[in-house]
Amino acid sequence: MRCVRIWFEKVGMSRYISHLDLMRTMSRAVRRSKIPLWYTEGFNPHPYMTFALPLSLGMESICESMDIKIEGEISNEEIFSSLKAVMPEGINIKSVTDGEIDPKYIAFGKFEIRFSGVENGEDFCLMLKDILSSSELPVQKLGKKGRKKVYKEINLMEYIKEYSVKEASQEPVLEVLLPAGSVTNVNPSLLAEEIIKRAGDGVSYVILRKELFTDKMESFK
Amino acid sequence: MVSREIEKILPLVQKPGRYTGGELNSVIKDKSKVDIRYAFCFPDSYEIGMSHLGIKILYSAANKREDCWCERVFAPWHDMEEEMRKRNLPLYALESGDPIKDFDLIGFTLQYELSYTNVLNMLDLAGLPIKSSERKSLTPIVVAGGPCACNAEPMAEFIDLFLLGDGEELCDEVITLLKESKKENLSKEDFLKKAAKIEGVYVPSFYDVSYNEDLTIKAVEAKNGAPEKVKKRIVSDLDSVHYPDNFIVPFIEVIHDRVVHEIFRGCIRGCRFCQAGFLYRPIREKSADTINEQCKVLCEKTGYDEISLSSLSTSDYTHLEELLNKLLSWTIPEKINVALPSLRVDNFSDELMEKLSKVRRSGLTFAPEAGTQRLRDAINKNVTEDEVLRTSAKAFSGGWTAVKLYFMLGLPTETYDDVAGIAELSQKVVDEFYKNPDKPKGKGVQVSISVSSFVPKPFTPFQWEAQDTREELENKQKHLLSNIKTKKISVSYHKVEISFLEGVFARGDRRLSKVIEYAWKNGCKFDSWDDSFKFDVWLRAFEETGIDPLFYSSRKRDFSEILPWDHLDYGISRKFLEKENKKAHESQTTPHCRIKCAGCGANKLNGGKCDALCENLV
Repeated sequence: MRCVRIWFEKVGMSRYISHLDLMRTMSRAVRRSKIPLWYTEGFNPHPYMTFALPLSLGMESICESMDIKIEGEISNEEIFSSLKAVMPEGINIKSVTDGEIDPKYIAFGKFEIRFSGVENGEDFCLMLKDILSSSELPVQKLGKKGRKKVYKEINLMEYIKEYSVKEASQEPVLEVLLPAGSVTNVNPSLLAEEIIKRAGDGVSYVILRKELFTDKMESFK
Repeated sequence: MVSREIEKILPLVQKPGRYTGGELNSVIKDKSKVDIRYAFCFPDSYEIGMSHLGIKILYSAANKREDCWCERVFAPWHDMEEEMRKRNLPLYALESGDPIKDFDLIGFTLQYELSYTNVLNMLDLAGLPIKSSERKSLTPIVVAGGPCACNAEPMAEFIDLFLLGDGEELCDEVITLLKESKKENLSKEDFLKKAAKIEGVYVPSFYDVSYNEDLTIKAVEAKNGAPEKVKKRIVSDLDSVHYPDNFIVPFIEVIHDRVVHEIFRGCIRGCRFCQAGFLYRPIREKSADTINEQCKVLCEKTGYDEISLSSLSTSDYTHLEELLNKLLSWTIPEKINVALPSLRVDNFSDELMEKLSKVRRSGLTFAPEAGTQRLRDAINKNVTEDEVLRTSAKAFSGGWTAVKLYFMLGLPTETYDDVAGIAELSQKVVDEFYKNPDKPKGKGVQVSISVSSFVPKPFTPFQWEAQDTREELENKQKHLLSNIKTKKISVSYHKVEISFLEGVFARGDRRLSKVIEYAWKNGCKFDSWDDSFKFDVWLRAFEETGIDPLFYSSRKRDFSEILPWDHLDYGISRKFLEKENKKAHESQTTPHCRIKCAGCGANKLNGGKCDALCENLV
């Protein structure tokens, strides 16, 4: 038995697959690929499968990963090609590795927010820079207090580690580094919502997760 | 692919995965290379529709043709509909994202009466007139099939043609005719005239219905060369007929999310309340080899880890042992679960029990349907109390601690003693648990009884009976509850308002079209969902249209009366149904079809062949 890390993209319409549904989708894909899975030895045997960091519904990603346990002689290349052949549209297998870093060390995520429906790209980018250069950007974050879900006000500016603005005519792109992981997690849609609130009607956005990092800013591998 | 406009509203709605398409194994074709665009509509939510086996069969059968692209359409949930209407986005098909109003063929499956308003709503959301007479051009042709098509008179004003019986071959012929008619530039009327000649096609506008003063039907007259009686279609051989080698695997969880395999069509039992038991006759079985092979392929292509065998009564399948042996030989090593729904208490053998314990254990459900032997005899549910108790005991000694029992209230000839009998029988099942010497320590027993309200249906021996009124049903529910003395029995029952409406529409005639239209215009849709059900609007709809619903639901009909579905022929002779009705009132049973052929007449549909294989065939 050994553990392998499957790297995949979740783009296009597949971004509307929730995390729970993704687990079902992936376990069926693994069954179709006929990879020799290792099963738990309990009363109700099931395959071992765990995801590094769940992705919010509606977000795209090019850095998703899932760990599975396999049995028998099969190389990472063979796993890659058998899985690649059975994936649904929008979930693309990129590579299969042994997995070097434990997902619990994930601390930051780099996100790309692509805006569309913007009338004047230049004005919009000026507004972006204006928002991001302020010292305070209060937003309501849904958190937990015991078992209850409560809204808590946070200053978004304290969490934004880095950002850059790319002007691409009608579709400006904001790249931002935010805390991500089991300790502190700030959903980039909090920032995106705040921006389109000021941008007026007709502007929409799609978020793409590009890369995950440890607290030492080492790329998650 | 859905359009950019649709993509924009997806983040605003619940469960966007319902509306994206793109699931594994969905069929994408080049639209410039097909002659017929076919929208297969299920008038309920994605999760319900995607669980339905019929849509999987017909979708794959239509897409086998190179000249046809069949796509799926479901009723958008309230929130999605609101966003679509706000932006004037018409109803689209999931595979291409194209508006269905530009399609050639729009097909609805009518599985239950309370989905009728959703049919209207989907046509309207597509941007089409809801009435057949107002859709003048040849395409789109709006067709409907499914069990409710056996008396879809209440939908007669909205649907261009109904497809009666098995759809696999029938749909194919309609598609071919439509393709030719398009080439020849035929008018809609000329197409319908030709279609009416296909066996199994019912064009409601080709039948004039006149009424007597007492509101009953005086006569139904065929015109335009349509047949006096429309005979339902059947497929003769299930082994050779098309069965999908691929299922679409939904991204979001649907109700039945597994491989489903139909093992036979029809039923040998002849329970007098059961419409399915008569509608799908004659019995046609599929061979164990075919089922086993097809299940294997489906599991490989979908990655599902569960197979459910589907039929009206699984344990009546003659090769069940053989089939289970074949299936379990590969499902156990591959950790695939095999589920056997619809088991009967009277032939639940020890061997079957042993096989079942090898697969993952789910709950056990039995359906005695009535509480006393007299009433079970009247409805021809040939199950004895002894069998129910013996099977329960067997299940308890096999380690089960929960049993579910199905009953009905409001069956013809039912008395309050029969109602109390439900409580007594359930109590005896509880007692059976405590008689078991090896019962698990520290564990109680849970007997859940689910009590539905009886709805008389066309093509059953009870098609002439009066349905209990809502008051009667509620009183019976109260009486049942007052007779239950222990918390080990939990009771759930259906809303009587819903059963009442089903009762009206199941045996309704075409005058009810205007009630459905009124209710829909006043906001009724998703009526089978408790939180969407607007009973007050329905009551107003009857009042405003001047129609007395009790005329349809709670009136006992005479054998001499012309029934709204008498011009449709489902192979079951009226004489047979009358005889069965009389026997019900004398609490006399009819043995099942393998003991003695009851002479229902359905074997004539299949050239005299019937897989009940009774030697005394009438």
